[in-house]
Parts: sequence; C-alpha cells; structure tokens
Amino acid sequence: MFRIEDHPFIARQQRLTFARAGRTRPLSLEDYAATGGWAGLSRARRIGPEQVLEDVTTSGLRGRGGAGFPTGIKWQTVARAQAPRKYIVCNADEGDSGTFADRMLLEGDPFQLIEGMAIAALAVGAHKGYIYVRSEYPHAVAKLEAAIALSRDMVAPFEVEVRMGAGAYVCGEETSLLNSLEGKRGEVRAKPPLPALEGLFGCPTAVNNVLSLTAIPHILSEDGAQEYARLGIHRSRGTKPIQLAGNIRHGGLFETAFGITLEELVHDIGGGTASGRPVKAVQVGGPLGAYIPPAQFGLPFDYEAYAAAGALIGHGGVVVFDDSADMAAQAHFAMTFCAVESCGKCTPCRIGSVRGVEALDRIRSGQARAPGPVETLPQMHNARKTQRSLAEDVALLEDLCETMKFGSLCALGGFAPYPVLSALRHWPEDFGIREEEMADGL
Amino acid sequence: MGKARIFEICSEYAECEGPLLPILHAVQAEYGCVSPEAEAAIAESLNLSRAEVHGVVSFYHDFTAEPDLRMDVQVCRAEACQARGVEAIVGAAEAAAGERVAVKPVYCLGLCSVGPAARVGDRLYARLDEAALVALVERVA
Amino acid sequence: MAYERQADFGTPEVRSETSVTLSIDGRSVTVPAGTSVMRAAAEAGGTIPKLCATDNLKAFGSCRLCLIEVEGMRGTPASCTTIAAEGMVVKTQTPRLEKLRRGVMELYISDHPLDCLTCSANNDCELQDAAAQVGLRDVRYGYEGASHLGRKPDVSNPYFLFAPDKCIACSRCVRACDEVQGTFALTMDGRGFASRISAGQADDTFLSSECVSCGACVQACPTSALMEKSVKQHGKPERAVVTTCAYCGVGCTFRAEMRGEQLVRMVPWKDGKANHGHSCVKGRFAWGYANHKDRITSPMIRESIDEPWREVSWEEALAFTAGRLKAIRDQYGARALGGITSSRCTNEETYLVQKLVRAGFGSNNVDTCARVCHSPTGYGLKTTFGTSAGTQDFDSVMDADVILVIGANPTDAHPVFGSRIKQRLRQGAKLIVIDPRRIDLVKSPHVRAEHHLALQPGTNVAVLTAMAHVIVTEGLVADAFVGERCETDAFEDWARFVSDAKHSPEVLEAVTHVPAERLRAAARLYATGGNGAIYYGLGVTEHSQGSSTVMAIANLAMATGNVGRPGVGVNPLRGQNNVQGSCDMGSFPHELPGYRHIHDVETRALFEADWGVSLDTEPGLRIPNMLDAAVDGTFRALYVQGEDILQSDPDTHHVAAGLAAMDCVIVHDLFLNETANYAHVFLPGSTFLEKDGTFTNAERRIQLVRKVMEPANGMADWEVTQALANAMGLGWTYTHPREVMDEIARLTPSFTGVSHARLDAEGSLQWPVNAAHPDGSPIMHADGFVRGKGHFVVTDYVPTDEKTGPRFPLLLTTGRILSQYNVGAQTRRTENTVWHGEDALEIHPVDAENRGVKDGDWVRLASRTGETTLRATVTDRVAPGVVYTTFHHPETQANVVTTDYSDWATNCPEYKVTAVQVTPSNGPSDWQADYAAQAARSRRIEAEPAA
Repeated sequence: MFRIEDHPFIARQQRLTFARAGRTRPLSLEDYAATGGWAGLSRARRIGPEQVLEDVTTSGLRGRGGAGFPTGIKWQTVARAQAPRKYIVCNADEGDSGTFADRMLLEGDPFQLIEGMAIAALAVGAHKGYIYVRSEYPHAVAKLEAAIALSRDMVAPFEVEVRMGAGAYVCGEETSLLNSLEGKRGEVRAKPPLPALEGLFGCPTAVNNVLSLTAIPHILSEDGAQEYARLGIHRSRGTKPIQLAGNIRHGGLFETAFGITLEELVHDIGGGTASGRPVKAVQVGGPLGAYIPPAQFGLPFDYEAYAAAGALIGHGGVVVFDDSADMAAQAHFAMTFCAVESCGKCTPCRIGSVRGVEALDRIRSGQARAPGPVETLPQMHNARKTQRSLAEDVALLEDLCETMKFGSLCALGGFAPYPVLSALRHWPEDFGIREEEMADGL
Repeated sequence: MGKARIFEICSEYAECEGPLLPILHAVQAEYGCVSPEAEAAIAESLNLSRAEVHGVVSFYHDFTAEPDLRMDVQVCRAEACQARGVEAIVGAAEAAAGERVAVKPVYCLGLCSVGPAARVGDRLYARLDEAALVALVERVA
Repeated sequence: MAYERQADFGTPEVRSETSVTLSIDGRSVTVPAGTSVMRAAAEAGGTIPKLCATDNLKAFGSCRLCLIEVEGMRGTPASCTTIAAEGMVVKTQTPRLEKLRRGVMELYISDHPLDCLTCSANNDCELQDAAAQVGLRDVRYGYEGASHLGRKPDVSNPYFLFAPDKCIACSRCVRACDEVQGTFALTMDGRGFASRISAGQADDTFLSSECVSCGACVQACPTSALMEKSVKQHGKPERAVVTTCAYCGVGCTFRAEMRGEQLVRMVPWKDGKANHGHSCVKGRFAWGYANHKDRITSPMIRESIDEPWREVSWEEALAFTAGRLKAIRDQYGARALGGITSSRCTNEETYLVQKLVRAGFGSNNVDTCARVCHSPTGYGLKTTFGTSAGTQDFDSVMDADVILVIGANPTDAHPVFGSRIKQRLRQGAKLIVIDPRRIDLVKSPHVRAEHHLALQPGTNVAVLTAMAHVIVTEGLVADAFVGERCETDAFEDWARFVSDAKHSPEVLEAVTHVPAERLRAAARLYATGGNGAIYYGLGVTEHSQGSSTVMAIANLAMATGNVGRPGVGVNPLRGQNNVQGSCDMGSFPHELPGYRHIHDVETRALFEADWGVSLDTEPGLRIPNMLDAAVDGTFRALYVQGEDILQSDPDTHHVAAGLAAMDCVIVHDLFLNETANYAHVFLPGSTFLEKDGTFTNAERRIQLVRKVMEPANGMADWEVTQALANAMGLGWTYTHPREVMDEIARLTPSFTGVSHARLDAEGSLQWPVNAAHPDGSPIMHADGFVRGKGHFVVTDYVPTDEKTGPRFPLLLTTGRILSQYNVGAQTRRTENTVWHGEDALEIHPVDAENRGVKDGDWVRLASRTGETTLRATVTDRVAPGVVYTTFHHPETQANVVTTDYSDWATNCPEYKVTAVQVTPSNGPSDWQADYAAQAARSRRIEAEPAA
C-alpha cells in the first residue's frame, strides 16, 4: 500500500528549520514549548554570548538570504563593535518569485523566528529587533504581531517589532531595507560602512534572513551546532529549505541538506512538470537567478558550485518551465523587472536596465538598430551612419550585462544579467539568432 | 483631509523609531492616498522637510498621491506564475475589469507552486485559470 | 589667477593620528587612516573619473565611474567608498576598468542632450570631462530610447535655473542641501529610471519650495542642470580672485569669477576658514547692486538740502567740503566736527576715517554703527574677560555638546554659521534657545531645540540670573575652574546675589513668562551637558540692559567652566562683515585702535608721535550725543562713511532733526541713502569688489579683500578719505592699503604680526597676532583670562522704562531676515526682493483676532515715538502680546516707532523692546507719504552741471 510518508517529497526531507511548521498550532506557546521551543534560548542564556558566537560559527551557518555570508562572523563583528545601541534586523522581505519559505515560517512557526532573534540579540548585545515584512504578506504580519505579543515576556528585555514594507523589491537588499526601516527612500547604501558596524540609525546591526535566524534555535540546542555542521557538502553546511515552484507537478517546500542536485529535485521529488511536457529550464534563486538547462541538472546545491556555473542559489527558489517557455521573453522580463524595481541610485541599473529592455525588444523583433534621425544629421560627425547588425546588438547587450554585473551598486543590477545571459547562451534560437550569427557577434 | 487628523495619526506613532513608513501606511489606509497636504502635515509633525516626505512617498508603490476608487485585483506576473501560464489569462481578466476594477500586476505573492495567484485586499487566491480569474474580477466589481 | 575649477579630492578630508601607505598604480601614497582610495589618488596627483563624488559630501557610490581594481579583492569596487588600507595595491587604469567606465558613460550619454557647444557649462562640465577621460566614441544605444530630454526648465529662482534634462541623477544637489546647508529642500522623486530631482513636493518649483537659495546645490552640480543664470548670460569666467564677502560677520571667502571687468559669479572658496566652501543667498548671489542704476559714481554737492544735487568734479567736491569743514572748525571749534566709520568698509578705511577725525578734524567725535549693535559686547566682555571680542573660532562649535543661542537668529542673520550649528545638532549636540520668537532653530527639519525659553522681551537679565540661581543653588558650579581662574571675592558676591530667593525661576516667572521648571531644566543642561557654547546676537545687546546681559552671559560661562577650550565660550554673532574690525580700529570716541582709552597718556603719545599731531585728550561724542548736540547747535558737521543712520538708528524723527540742524553733512556711500536726504556733500563710494583691504569677522579672523575690478567712481573709499584729508592739508601719502595695515600693526599691540603679505600667504589670521601669539589666536583665554582673573559682575535685573499699558499694550521686537541685509541698501537692489519685498508685522493669532486683523491686512503700528503702517503676518511664531518686524525697507521705517531708550553703559539703543499698539489701517500713513515726497525731492539731481 502506498503511504504518503514514503513519497520522496516527504521521505527525502530533513526538516530542521521546518520541523514544526504545519504540525503545531502556530500561535500556541504550549505547542511551541512542547516541541523543543525556547530550549535554544535557555541554553544561550546559560552559556553566554561568547559561546553562542562560537556555536554559530561552528555550525557553518551562512546567510540564507542569498549572499551566503557566514553568520557567525557577521555576529562577531556586531558583538565586537562598541556602541550604546545595537539592533537585530530580520529580513523578511521575501520578494523573489518562486520563494515562499519565509512566508510559511512566519505564518507557521513565528515563535521560532522570535527565539532566533532573541538568541542573536544576546550574542551581539542588541536591545531591539525589527522584522521587515513585505506588504504582500498580510497574513504573515498578523501572525507575527500576535506571536510577538504572546512571547513578550519570554524574550524580555529584548523587544521585537514588525515593520511592513511598501512595495519595493529592492528593499530585500539589506542596506535599502535599513533605509526603509528608518523611514527613508529604499535606496541602496554603498558599503563600507558595513551594516554590522553602521547599520540601522547608524548603530551596529545584524541583518539576517528569516531562514538564517530560524536555523539558530536548533543550532543552539545541545550538540545542535555540531549536528548542523555535519550536514551538507563543502563550505555549504546544514540544511536548505528549497522551494519547488512554477510548472512542477509536486511543488512546495522541501528542506534538505546541501548537495542535492536539480535532477533529483525536479524529477525525483517534483515529478517533472505539471503540464506533463518536457522541462525546458529552471530558474534558481529568483528573478536575478540564471536559467539552467536540463543538461546542467547535475549541479549540486552548493554556494560555490552555483557561483562557478554562473548561477546563484539565492533564497532557494526553483522555478520550472516547460518547453512552451520563450526564453527571450524571460530575458526581456528579467530586464523589465530590474527596470521596474531599480531604486535608481546607481547608473548601470537605473539606465542600463531600460536600455537592456530596448535592446531585447530590437533583438526579439529581429530588427537591429538603424541610425536614428539625430545620428544621420551631418552635424553628428562622429555618429555611425550605417545600419547595425543583429550580432552587434547582441554584443551591445552582452557589454551592457557586463557593465551592470561589475558596475552596479547592489545585486539587483548586478545579477539581472544572469537570467539574460544564461537565456541567451543556452537558447539563442529563442532570440531568433542562428548559431553562425552568434559566432559572428561574440 | 484634515491636518488635525494627520497630526493625530502621527502622534499614535510617537514612540516609534523611524515612524514614517508606518504613518504613511496608516494615512494611505485611511484616505486611499497620501496627498500633498498630508505630506506637508506629516513633514511638520515629524520635523522633516516636505521634500523628504514626498521623496519617500514617491519611492514606494504602495503609496499614491490620489485615491483610486476602483477595486484592486492584484495578479501575480512573476516567473513562477508565468511558468504556470498567467500571461495567457490576464487579457481576459483585464477585459472583464471594466471601469470599476483595476487589474494590477504584483511580483510574487509567495504562492509559487500553486499559481496563477491573485490578491484582493488581504485575501489570496491560487490555482486560478481564466474562468476563475474572470469570475474573481466580476465578483469584486 | 587664471580660471580653473578648485581642486576636488572627491571625498572629505579625514583627520587621523595614524596614517596608511598604499600603492596606487605603482606609486606609493601615504594618507591619514580612513581616507578613501579616491582621495588618496587625488592627493597623489591622479584623477580617477568620477561624477557623484565631491569633497564636501560624504561618499555616495552611485555613479560607478570611479571603479578600481584592488589586489586580493573581488570585483571592481568604487574608489570613493573604498577606504585606503596599509599595503593595499590599487590599479586605477586597466583594460577592464576602461571598458566598464566607457560602458557607464555610454549609458549616461544615451540620456543627455548633445549640444555641448551651446551649453552654459561648456568646458566647465564634469560630465564632459568624464566623457573625455574615459574615451567615449560611440553611443551604440542611439538617442531614440527612453529619455528625460525635453523636460521644461525651472527658472523660478532669480539666480539659477534647473534644467532637468541635463540632470544625471547623481544626488549631489540633494546631498549638498542636506549635509552642507541642512535645509533638506530637495529630494529624489520617484525611483528607477523615472528618478528625478524635485524641489519640495510634486507641484513645487525651486521658489515655492523650502529652498533658501544658498547655492550649495548649484555648486555641487557636475553639469549645467543647476546653473547660475549669470553664467548663462555672460559665459565661462576667465579668471578668479579670492576675496571676502561684505555682508554679515561670518566672513565667508569667495572666488569672484570674472570675464574682463564683468563679475560672472561668486563661488564660495573651499579653503575659506570661516565658511569652508559654503555660502548664503546674499554673498553668493546678491551682488547685482554693484551695477544697479541707482549707483552714484560722480561726486555731488549742494548749498542746502532743499536744492537739487549738482554733479561736480572730485576737485570741486573736495575743495567745497574741506572749505566748509574748516570754516565750521574755525567758527565753532574742533568739537563741532565728527565722523562715523563704517562697519561695511575695510579695516584700513575705518582706520583712516577715525584718523581723519582725530588728527584732521581735531576731535574724538568718532563713532560707528557698533554703537547700535555690539557696543555692549565690547563693554561687557572687556569688563569680565578683558577683551572686547568673542572667545572662539567658528569651528569650535563642532566640539560643542550644548549650544545656547540667545537673542540671535543664526539661520537668517548668519546663515553659513547657522548651517554649521545645524550640522553639529544633527550629530547630537543639544540646543537651548532663549528668544521671544520661535526662530527656525527651535524647530526645523532635523533640528529641534531641547528647550525654547520664550521670554518676554526685555527680561534677558532676569532669565540669565535665574539660570545662575539654579546653577549655584543646585551645586552645579565648576568649582575648580572658578577657584583657579576667577576672582574669588567677586565670585562670592555674585554667588550670594544670584542665590537670593528673589532670583529663583519660580519668583521671576511672573516677569519673564518662562515656566520655572523649563528654565531649571535648561540651566541644568547647560551646566552639566558637556561643552557648553553660548552664541548671542543683538537680542542681547540692543536693550537698556544690554551690557548687563553680556556680563550675565559671561558669568554663566565662567561659573560652569565653559571658557578657554574648543567647544565652549561666549560668542557674539557680529552683524556686519567688519563690525569687529571697525571696533578694533578705534572707532569709538573714547578708544584709540586696539581698545586703548584716550585718557591713556602713553598710548596717546604713541599716536601723536606717529601722526605728528596733538590729540584731544577727552573722549568725543557718541552718535546719539552728536545728534542731540546738533539739535542744540553745538555740533555742525558730520562725515558719514557707508552708513545710513537715518534708517538704522532709533527714533527716526530725532535723527532727522539732528541731521537737518547741521551745516555740513557728508555722505560717502554707493547710493543716495536716506541719510543723504539731509546731506550737502555726496562722495560716491566703492564696493568691496573694487578695493583692497581687510575685513575682520566675528571670530576675530582678519582676511584679505582683494580688488576684483576697477572702482566705478575712479577711487576706492580709502583713496577718497585720503583725498579729503589732503584737501584739509594733512599730506597723507598712502599708495596702497597694505601701508595702512603696516601703520596699524606698528601702533596696535594685538595686530603686531599682521600684514597683507602674511594674510596673502596664510589665508587669514585671528588676532591677537603678536610675540605672545605669533600664529594668532583661534581660542582666547586658554591659559588664563586676558585681564588676569575672570571677573564676575552682579547683574541686577532692572525693568526697562519702556512699559506696556492700556494705550500701547503690545511689545514690538525687531530682527533680520535671510534674504535682506540691514537697511537693505544693497539687497533691496537685487532680486532678493522676491523673497522679501516689504517688511511685515508678525502678530499672534489671538492678538490679531482681538483687533480684527487678518493675514495680509494693512495695520498701523504706533508707539509713543511715532507710527508707521505695514502688512500683518498672522503667526504663532511670536507669543501673544509680542509683535515682530524687520527694518529692511525705508518705506516702512520701523525705527520711526522705536524709542531713544538705550543701554545704560554704552547707549546702544533699545531696538528690541518698544511698547506699541496695532490697529487696522487702510494703507501707508500720512507720515510715510510725506516722507516719500521729501525723499524724492531731496534726491533730485540737476540735469547737467554748468560747464
């Protein structure tokens, strides 16, 4: 007889962060305590800040928001900073398409986040924490507010407050999130100074993703750090909540140790596409993530392996597309999204994304740029007067992507080229480019 | 909108650090917009310049200078819903919307394995096909 | 010097004890720790292309042109936000960087007008420079994509325009407005590609926004998006001369940028030690008066004031004048003659006028406008500390923890220093404001006073004594400082006096209207909040107890140990560019240069020997006494240089009567001012742009004034005074003001080390500059008070005789506004009038309601002395019972209303307290109409002088 527990989607998971979500009543302190809640915080209080920092470092936990920066080092920086006020900020501005792990946790196990923040506060010496949630998540906000009220005494004197975003994807970037929390335009700040030294209101601040902070209570349990460090591969330790989304038969949250391949995720666990058609591509890591063709599905979930392949793990969203997808349209969308959500501070992203959309419009229409009325004027001595080739427009797009990648101030402009270039590289035919034209132009 | 009421809203956030966004949300919720007069009153109350408040209001999509009397149906147009066919059904929803409903794009509602998804107020809808989305639009109207 | 933009190091200078050495393009560079790589490269003589960085703003990192490669670092970080580290190896020019920069520039130019040759920033544009530096040759995107081209310019500000299509969204203007000026009038509007600079809100223009037109944004703009209209009109300057502003006592230095004899623009000089590259609407833009059609450039004379003026040659004018003066001296004696020096003129010119009066006229009847502003400062600080000047430099405020502003409105009257105060407040210093009116510092964006003591006008001494009461009775006195640095007996007398219960805040509340608890809290904050710095203005001095108030302030500073180091002190904010200097130069009837009493035999002998004359041994007359004596018939002739006493001095009727009674009034000025209506001789003056010399600002900083253009009248003011002296037979032979300064240095101990050559080389010097202080004295009384021990003075509160009653139930107080300057002779002749075209009366809504007065109505303002009419502004900036106006416009003549009550010690007029009544009115009063007619009659000039 088939048992649901035997389905690979259930059987192959290793739920640490999501051990509780969906099994307990989210706002029941009783349920929370009965399932090991507050044990990490109690132990943290017992062992003190230095040992907490030690444990987090030992666990190998890296930022789950996407950048993968070691959490222990970040906390040590905040802890060492001398300042009368310090903050813990939880980044719950989960804006990537294909991701919903934060939302499920906020709605399903809010106390775990509060506990994680309280442990972080203890470790770095912070007095106050903020959870910045996007306004698209009204239910999560409501759950959090209720949970904070219920658990106030458990975490005191540490205080937690929820703040709602206001419709700006870029506020998921930590420095623009801080600006937004301060009541400013959500523009990205240049680094340095690091938020760990000069963050919220100029004070040392640990900014961590929901998934990083919710991993903490487990890590702080007895032997939790060592157990956590034993999981995963290479420098990617512990578990990663992966979200299977888009055109996939069995979608949803799938938490497992690092190292799993896309092949396993898409086919063994996800059961292929929902439409039943062949898989054409997956996009990992949200709108700024690369499109990966089935040929590369052997790639293991690992920060460094993805970086080497020109891709990123990001927040762990895996969006599956079947063979009806137009990858040129997806590339166009990536640039459009970047243009819509650009904060406008840095030039490559502000102007580049718009020029990228325009270039892709031309390329998709098959019409390379002809000299404009201004350029044909005899006064415009230096302007080129001849028609450009499609290959030249493609080369321009690639140059633009390079300018954005290496010139942008933050990951929005810096990573928008990934989906564009990957689509262009793997599916040139969707751009109307014949192989030989690619060879000419590149 | 009354300046006194704006001051009152601001005073409710007197204990907040960096209270501007919560105040703007409250004003937007109450008036359906953050008007230039409201910007000026908030600036006065928070000891900010008018320009600063305006700069913030104009940055975030959630705040509008004028109220939109139409009901909003936010349809997710991001990749995961694209992969599940949202682009093919939006046209019908827009056609059904008429004058009284605004079908607006939103980028991700966190329902990425069960799209296409939409949001009306604080209610979320998933696994929409064209008929379901059109029905939703018509119900809202 | 030839025209060149001032060097821009990209990011602000960093001060640090430690330094780091790094390699930039193979060159070893050592800089203070914390310096950016961009600045390090610039200091080493290199230029990394940049657009959003400039060295008076924090690094921003948005333009992405200044990318570099650093060994061992991933990617291509921006050099403006990368901090130089020991051993760092930086490359600023590689093929990869070249390509990236060109890529960024290609994006910029794809959204920018292409007509550089006809652009007002042509050849003076950082975007153009950067495009050249990166070698942009092709814009492959074309010019038909989305763009910001074709947006309408905003020309609302009279001095500069905003062309949004030339904007590159670098935010330098927004940041300059925030970080430097502290007004926060600008913002980025929208986001992404739609981002655009907005002054204020969606429908605002620059003029309707909160912009104060300081010019910081224009200076910050790397393109011509924000550009002076004067550059658009005249073209790019060809040379620049550094000189000192002639408006307020801050003493900003500017580059006067010229084409030929045409002033193109005034740009604040980044190396100016008073202003550090900042400016206000007056110094930056309001120089158009120099070429105004009202400017008189030929000498004029007339037999009597009923006649029209007659233009004559200099020879005739001087002969006529000397003849009259000599005749009066022969008939009435030397003491019938006198002069008034100008705080607007240079030290050298002021010195010469007092020398002319003392050595030429033969009397000590010399006075200056400081009589009506800061004479109590001189008296009060000399008595308590030993020197008639403020104790600090302006930079000191950046070390203050508690800033106490009393009777001053820095953001209007000393705007550049006001911005400094705001900077320090934004860093966390606390502010106490003692002022009847809610000045902008009390509450403005990002600034809020901890305590605003809105006292009843005329009760300064009561408030300060009550603060002293709190400090002494609550045990907050800095005993060690007082014990070591101050006279014990005087302190004990004072402490006993202030401790008396009758000086408690609770008792005095009835008089001051300041809630006792608030006053106590303010006193505690000042005494215990760290470095406490006091800044004060004419709201302190222009009272019947002006000198007492200055001494009460000094007492507070001594009692709390707030004297003699950075961040503390007692600082008068001097009103005029050279009022400190004019006082230093012996402009008072009882003092020779350097504040030495005329009774002092040794000093007198020194001057007599140098000047070759014998001096009158008795102090001369002060201005009010001259006018009294004129009415009495014993004072007959007056030489007034650069001052308009009819408009500026109190009780206009009395001033007019005094002037009308004289036989020879000589006005030496740029314009036919109000005083000239009663003059017999008009000697045309020169502007500060037309002469050499020095000004001394409020921090005792002596700075060079350099001749930028030839005098329109042919002679600088010092030359005119010399010519008059020589017409009287004095035989002066100065060929340049530097020789006058040499004479001053020779005769004045506090100026011994001052010379033009040294000022030219060092930029500025703060007196005293002598053997004891060879490099000058930024902070005084550091190792002991100049007078030896600090002297506490008992300051008994004596209410003014000017009292409200049923007929005059309101108290009028007066002040200045940002865009206008004093009597407005200059600023009224510029486009600054768009901000302030007439004086208005501020009145509290309750008082207005009681009188049936609405905002904008004409009202009659009457006192025991006189009346005038003006429009009302209904506002709660003033407390009930208090009204306020400015005195910038002769049409209003606010001083018709003010009384001749004055400071007991120095005769400084009590401008700040007048009992008045306000009633609705239909328009200008009969007196105003008569005055206007008389002025018009008096200003007639004969069509053509007889051949």
